[in-house]
Amino acid sequence: MIAAGRYSDAYMVNWTSNVFPGVLGRTCDRPCEPACRRGRVEKEPVAICRLKRVAADNKDDIRARLPKVPEVRNGKRVALIGAGPASLTVARDLAPHGYEVVLYDADPKAGGMIRSQIPRFRLPESVIDEEVGYILGLGIELRLGQRVDSLKALLAEGYDAVFVGSGAPRGRELELPGRKEAAANIHIGIDWLSSVSFGHVDKIGKRVIVLGGGNTAMDCCRTSRRLGGEDVKVIVRSGFEEMKASPWEKEDAMHEDIPILNYLVPKEFLHTNGRLTGVKFEKVAAQYDAKGRRSLKPTGEPDQVFECDDVLVAVGQENAFPWIERDIGLEFDKWDMPVVDAKTMQSTLPKVFFGGDAAFGPKNIIWAVAHGHDAAVSIDKYCNGQDVSQRPPPMVTLASQKMGIHEWSYDNDISNDARSVVPLRPKEVALKDVRLEVELGFDSKLGYKEAERCLNCDVQTVFTPALCIECDACTDICPEDCITFTANGTEEDLRTRLTAPAPNATQALYVSSALKTERVMVKDEDVCLHCGMCAERCPTGAWDMQKYLLEMTHAGPACRSQ
Amino acid sequence: MTYLQKPKLHHPQLPTNGLGFTHRDYEGAISTLCAGCGHDSISSAIIQACFELSLPPHRIAKLSGIGCSSKTPTYFLGQAHGFNSVHGRMPSVLTGANVANRELIYLGVSGDGDSASIGLGQFAHSIRRGVNMVYIVENNGVYGLTKGQFSATSDLGSKSKKGAVNTDSPIDLVSMALQLGASFVGRSFSGDKRQLVPLIKAAINHHGAAFIDCISPCIAFNNHAGSTKGFDFVREHNEAVNYMDVMIGREPIVADYAPGTVEVVTQHDGSVLRLRKLVEHYDPSDRLAAINYLQERSASGEIVTGLLYVDPKADDLHDHLNTVARPLNELGTADLVPGAAALDKLNASLR
Amino acid sequence: MPKPITSVNDFVVKFANVNGSGSASANQLFAKSILRMGVPIASRNIFPSNIQGLPTWFEVRVSGANHLGRRGGVDLMVAMNPQTWDADIASIDPGGYLFYDSTKPLPLSKFRDDINIVGLPLTQICNQAYKDARQRQLFKNIIYVGALAWLLGIDLGVIEQLLGEQFKGKDKLIAPNIQALHMGRDYARDHLPQIGLKVEHTDAVGDRIFIDGNSAAGLGAVYGGATVAAWYPITPSTSLAEAFMRYCKRFRHEADGKARYAIIQAEDELASIGMVIGAAWNGARAFTATSGPGISLMQEFIGLAYFAEVPAVLFNVQRGGPSTGMPTRTQQADLVSCAYASHGDTKHVMVFPEDPAECFEMGAQAFDLADRLQTPIFVMLDLDIGMNDWLCRPFAWDDSRQLDRGKVMSAADLESGKQFGRYLDVDGDGIPYRTYPGTHATRGAYFTRGTTKDRFAKYSEDGATYVDNVNRLLLKWETAKRLVPAPVRRDAAKPTNLGVLYYGSTTPAMNEALGTLEAQGVHVDAMRLRGFPFSDEVEDFIARHDRIFVVEQNRDAQMRQLLINECEVDPAKLVRVLHFDGTPVTARYITGAIAGLVNASTAAPLRKVVG
Repeated sequence: MIAAGRYSDAYMVNWTSNVFPGVLGRTCDRPCEPACRRGRVEKEPVAICRLKRVAADNKDDIRARLPKVPEVRNGKRVALIGAGPASLTVARDLAPHGYEVVLYDADPKAGGMIRSQIPRFRLPESVIDEEVGYILGLGIELRLGQRVDSLKALLAEGYDAVFVGSGAPRGRELELPGRKEAAANIHIGIDWLSSVSFGHVDKIGKRVIVLGGGNTAMDCCRTSRRLGGEDVKVIVRSGFEEMKASPWEKEDAMHEDIPILNYLVPKEFLHTNGRLTGVKFEKVAAQYDAKGRRSLKPTGEPDQVFECDDVLVAVGQENAFPWIERDIGLEFDKWDMPVVDAKTMQSTLPKVFFGGDAAFGPKNIIWAVAHGHDAAVSIDKYCNGQDVSQRPPPMVTLASQKMGIHEWSYDNDISNDARSVVPLRPKEVALKDVRLEVELGFDSKLGYKEAERCLNCDVQTVFTPALCIECDACTDICPEDCITFTANGTEEDLRTRLTAPAPNATQALYVSSALKTERVMVKDEDVCLHCGMCAERCPTGAWDMQKYLLEMTHAGPACRSQ
Repeated sequence: MTYLQKPKLHHPQLPTNGLGFTHRDYEGAISTLCAGCGHDSISSAIIQACFELSLPPHRIAKLSGIGCSSKTPTYFLGQAHGFNSVHGRMPSVLTGANVANRELIYLGVSGDGDSASIGLGQFAHSIRRGVNMVYIVENNGVYGLTKGQFSATSDLGSKSKKGAVNTDSPIDLVSMALQLGASFVGRSFSGDKRQLVPLIKAAINHHGAAFIDCISPCIAFNNHAGSTKGFDFVREHNEAVNYMDVMIGREPIVADYAPGTVEVVTQHDGSVLRLRKLVEHYDPSDRLAAINYLQERSASGEIVTGLLYVDPKADDLHDHLNTVARPLNELGTADLVPGAAALDKLNASLR
Repeated sequence: MPKPITSVNDFVVKFANVNGSGSASANQLFAKSILRMGVPIASRNIFPSNIQGLPTWFEVRVSGANHLGRRGGVDLMVAMNPQTWDADIASIDPGGYLFYDSTKPLPLSKFRDDINIVGLPLTQICNQAYKDARQRQLFKNIIYVGALAWLLGIDLGVIEQLLGEQFKGKDKLIAPNIQALHMGRDYARDHLPQIGLKVEHTDAVGDRIFIDGNSAAGLGAVYGGATVAAWYPITPSTSLAEAFMRYCKRFRHEADGKARYAIIQAEDELASIGMVIGAAWNGARAFTATSGPGISLMQEFIGLAYFAEVPAVLFNVQRGGPSTGMPTRTQQADLVSCAYASHGDTKHVMVFPEDPAECFEMGAQAFDLADRLQTPIFVMLDLDIGMNDWLCRPFAWDDSRQLDRGKVMSAADLESGKQFGRYLDVDGDGIPYRTYPGTHATRGAYFTRGTTKDRFAKYSEDGATYVDNVNRLLLKWETAKRLVPAPVRRDAAKPTNLGVLYYGSTTPAMNEALGTLEAQGVHVDAMRLRGFPFSDEVEDFIARHDRIFVVEQNRDAQMRQLLINECEVDPAKLVRVLHFDGTPVTARYITGAIAGLVNASTAAPLRKVVG
C-alpha cells in the first residue's frame, strides 16, 4: 500500500495493530527488522520502521476513519494508571466497545515516556499530540497531573478493572565516591531528559560525560550536544558490540561527533570545592570462561581520568510500585515485581492487569503496545465474565493471487536495491535546536524504493502435487535455488540432498506427497523471495501464489466465546 | 513466459567455483519460452555445466540458428558473446568463428527443425569436418514457433496435438552423427539433469566435434498422449546405457562401484570421464556397435541415452588445417602481409 | 580479292580449338612470346562449360599502341575445330588470314575468296613424328606455334626460353617440346611464305606484368590480411580461391609448417558465407569467392551481415545467367543483385576493379573497408578480368601500411570504462564500435541478431528503435561514399556536354574507343566508376553533362539503374550502351554505338524539320 501511495490505508492497517505508527516510525527498537526475511538473502532487512513513518507523514486526515464511541456505554468502568503507550493501547481497544475509560498520570500531558524521555529532535511534539490525541478523542476521561498513591484506594472507587501501565520510572543510581559531593552536576539520565522535554532544563556544561550504553545514554549525549555540550562523550563498561543501544542510535551519536569509549568502568567522581571536575575510570578487558560467559577483568593499566563539567547517568531503569499496597491480594515475586501472566497480563488480583514496562521491567514501546492489546482482550473477557485464558486464535485466510499468464495481484517484481539510507538535516542546523527533528524520513520516492524491497512474506508458494509433471521449470528458474525434486526421506536426510544448503533448521521444509516418478518436491522456505517465478514458469498450475492474511484478535465481541 | 527479470538476489550460501562465481553468474536474460519448456531445463544444465567446470563465461561463444531452441542462448551465459544467425545455418557460422579463434569454447544450440530439416546439410558437414564444438540439438520433434507441425525427427506414427498421424520416417541425428564421424556423441533428456549436466561437461572438454541430441518436451505442442517426445513417454522409454562423472584436474577417483560397472575414459585435455554402466556390454568406444545398438533398441521403441560414443584422441578441424596455435584473429600486419619486397619478386615472375 | 592485311605489332589472332585438346598452354606460349618481344598483348579465353570436346577460342590482340581491350574482328584465324569452322571462317576480316590443318582435303566451298589461306598438314607431320596418340595430340599444338612463329616473325629463341621456364624442374620435357617447335617452324619455313602480319621486337611493355585478375585478387586478399577463406567451387571464381591458397602456401607458413590462414571448401555457398560471417564476427578477416549464382544463394546471410554489421568480403567474378553454358562467358550482370542483395531494406558497398592491378589493390582494400564500415563489401570482377591474363602495371605495396581493423574496442578500452553500445553511433558517422567475443570478463559482450535490437544490442521490437537503427545505417551509407575508391575522370580534348560512364573490364575497350571517337571529332568526357555508393563527384559529373552514355556489359543497364535510383537522375539523361553476348565488349562496338547515337541525335532535328 505504501508502494501504491495508499498512505492512509497503510496507516490505518498499522494503527490498528501498533497504535502509534508516527511515533514508532521514528523511535521503535525495531524488533521486527531482524525477523525480516530480506535480511536472510542480503545484508539488511527492509526499513520497516521508516516505512511506517512514510505512511504516517504522508497520510491524509484519517480522523473520520477512527472508531466511533457508541452513544450508549456498556456500563463498565476501567482505570488506566499511567498514560504511556500500554495504557493508551488499552484505552484505544476498549473505548470503542463502550467502556468508560479513566486515565491517570502524574505528568501534565498524556504520552508517558514517549513524551518525557524521547528527545524532541527524534520525535516532534506534534506527532505525539496527534497520535495520543486520536485515542484521547475516544471519550477517555483524563486525570492528568494526578499521581495514584494507593491502588487500594483506587480499587475502592469501584472500577470493573484496573490496568497498570505506569512504566519503569526510576533511573538507576550510581553510588560511587564523590556522588554526593558533586551532586549538583550529576544527573539521572531519564529524569534529566524528562526535564528537558518539559522545558525545565535548557543548558548543560561544555564538557559532558554520559555513563551507560543504552538508548537512553544515546538520547542523553545527543541532547547534551544541543544544549551547549561541545565535548560530549559516552563512556561504557562493556565493549561496543555488546552495548544495549540500537546500532543506528550509536551511529547517530557518532555522526554528531560524540565518541563512544568502551571497557572503562567508572570508579570515582572527582570534585573540588563541591564542584565536579571529572570521572576516574578503571580499564578493563573482556574475558571469557570455558562456557563462553563474559566477565570484565581489570587490565592493570593506570586508571584514566576524563575531565568534565556534567555527568549524565544512564545505566538503567527500575520499576517502583510503592503505591501498591502489599495486602490487597496482589502478589509480588522475589525481585519485588508483581506476578503477571505473560499471556493474559492478569495479576493475581483478577481485576488488575499490567502491561508495558510495569509488567516485566523496561523493554520498549512496541512491547508495551502488544501488552496493551493482550490486556484489553483480557479485560474485555473479564468484564464479560469469561475465562481470560481462553483466547481465540487469529483469523487466517489464503487467496490465490494469479491474475493472468504472468500477472499477479501482488507486487512480485523484487527490487535488487540495497536498503536506503534516511536523509538527515545538516548537522550544523540540527545541533542548534533540541526541538528540531533531525531525521527527515523517506520521501515518497525513497519510500517506494524501500517498499519494493519487501519479499512479500504474506504471499505463499502453494504446491499441488497432482498437477505436477516434473518438468523442472520451477527448479531451474528459482533465484534462490529453494526447490528440489528428489527421493523422499526424513527432513534431516532431505536437507543433505537439496539444490542449495538449508541450514536454518527452525524453518521447516515444505515437502510434497509422492509425485509420478515417486520423488517428492522439497522447498526450503528459508530464503524464498516469493517472487512467483516458480508459479509463472509452471506449465500446469501446480504452483500457485496465495496471499496469507492474518488478523489478530482484538478486544470486542470477536474475542469472546459465543 | 515471464517478463520480469529474475531477481539478482541469490541464496546466501550458494557454492562458488574456482573462479569465485556462483551458478547465478552463468545465467542470461529471463526466458521468453513457454512455461515448462524442456529447452529451459537444457539452458539450466548448460549453466550448471559451465559453472562446475569453472569456465570464464566470456570465453564461450554461443551460436544458434532460428527457432525456439535457437532463442535459448540469450537465456544463459550473459557475459558471453552470442550469435542468433539464420535458420539452419548455425553450423557454418560456428565453423567460421571457430576457425577465427581456436581458443574460445563454441557452443552451438539448435533444434530439430533447424538441424534435421533446413540445416541438415550444415549439421552433417560441420560434424564431418570435426569442428571443435559442442553441438546441442534441443529435440522436441515439433515446430513450436509455427505452432505444432511435425518436424523431421517426429517418429513414424506419432500423433500431433491436432490428431494428425506422422507418416514420414524420422531422422535420427545421433545415428547420423555417428556415421559422419562425430568423435563424441551423446543423447539425453531435458528432464534428467543428473545425466545431462555431466554429458555437457564432457562434451565441452572434448577435443573435436561433440554432438548431443537432447530430447526436450514441447509443453505447448508435443506433450500429449500419442506424442513420443513428451515427459511421460520419454520417462517410460528412456534406456540409459550409462551415467557419468566428469573429473577435471587432480580430483581423486573414488572407486565406489562394483568392478566392471565403471569405465574410465581420459580425454585429450586430461579430463577424466568415469562412466557408470547401466547396460553391461555397451562399449562407447565402438562406433559400429553403437550404431547397431541404437538401431536395435530404436526398433523396439526404446530411446537410448547416455554417452553413446567417444574417441578421446580425436583430431579437430584446426589439426586438419594445420593452423598456428595463435588465434587467427590475433594476427596482425606483420604476420599477414608479405610486404613490398615479396611483391617485387612476384612481379618479376609475371613478365 | 582485297589486299592482304599488312600490319606490324597491331593485329588480332584467334585460335579456334576443341576443349581438352591441350591447346591452351600452346596458345599461351604463343601469346607470351609476343609479350617477351616487348609487344603489348591482350589475350582472352572464350570457353565452354565443359572439360572435353566443346569448342573453345583463344583470342590474342597484339597492340604496340597498347590497346588492350577487345578490338573486334580477326586478322588471323587459327582454325583447329571442324565444329566451328564455318563461323570461324566467316569471322575473319576481309584480307585476313586463315591458318588450318591441311591434312584433310576440304571442298572449296569451305573457304572464302576474300581471305588468305595458309594450310599446313599438321596431322600428317605429327603422325610421321609420333607414334603415341596422346603425344600426337599435344605436340600438334606446339608444332603450329612453331609454324606461326615463322609466319609472323616471332623470335624462336624467346619461345625456347619460355619453354625452359615452363618446364623448369621437369627438364626432360624441354627438349621434345623444342623439337616439335622446330618441326613446325622448319616445315613452314620450307613450304610457306611469311604473311603480312608481323611481330617485331620493341619495348612497349615496360615493367608491366601479365596476370589474371583472379590471381591478383587472391594475392590482394593475402595482402589485405585475410586469414579465413570459405568457398565453393564455381566458374569463374574458382581460380581466385585457388590463387589465395597458392599465395598463402608461399607467404603464410611458419618455419614449423603451421599455417597463418585457414581455407575451407564448404559444402555450398550458404555455408561459405556463413563461415565468412562467423569468422569475421569473431575478428578474423574473411572472404568468399563466388559468382552470381553463389550470391543468389547467399542472400539471407548477406542481409544478416548487413543488419548485424558484420564485415565480410565477397569477390563476385561475374558471368552470364543461371545454370551452365553462358555462365562461362563474361558479363557485368550482378550489379543489382549485389547492390540490394537480401530481404528487407539493404544496400551494399561494391568496388569495380578495371584490371588485375586493381583486383590486387581493391582486393586488399576491401578488407579495410569491410572492417571500417562493418558491412559486406563486394569486389565486382568479371570473367574477362578474372580468368584472362591481362597486361597491367606491376603490383605495388607501401610497407608502412597497416591493416585498418576499424572500430574495435579492446579489453583496455572496456576496462577504462568507455561506454560500449554495439549499435551506438559515438562518432556521428553511423559506424558503431564492436568487440570481439571473449575480450573482457564483464564488459562488451552482446548478442548478435538481425534487425530486432536497440543501440545496446538488447532485444527490442519497438518501431521507433528499429527506425533509429536503420536510419543510422543510412548515415553509415553516407560515410561509405567517402571511403570507397573515387571515380577516375578523363576529360575530352575539347569542352563537351557529352559524358560517358563505364567501369570494370570495359575500361581498355572504352579507352581505345574514346581515342577513336576523338579522332572522329566526337568529344566525350569520361568517368570510370570504381565504387558504390556513388560519391558526390559522380553526381557532379552527371549534372555537368547533358547526355551521358553508360557503357555496360549487361542487358538491363544495371549501373544506369543504380545511378537513376541512388542519384535520382532523370533517366532520359542516361543513355544505354550495352553489350551482353557473353564475349568481352570491343572497342569497335563502343565506338560504333556512341558515334551512331551522337550522329543520330544531330540528324534527328533535321528529320523533324523535314517531316
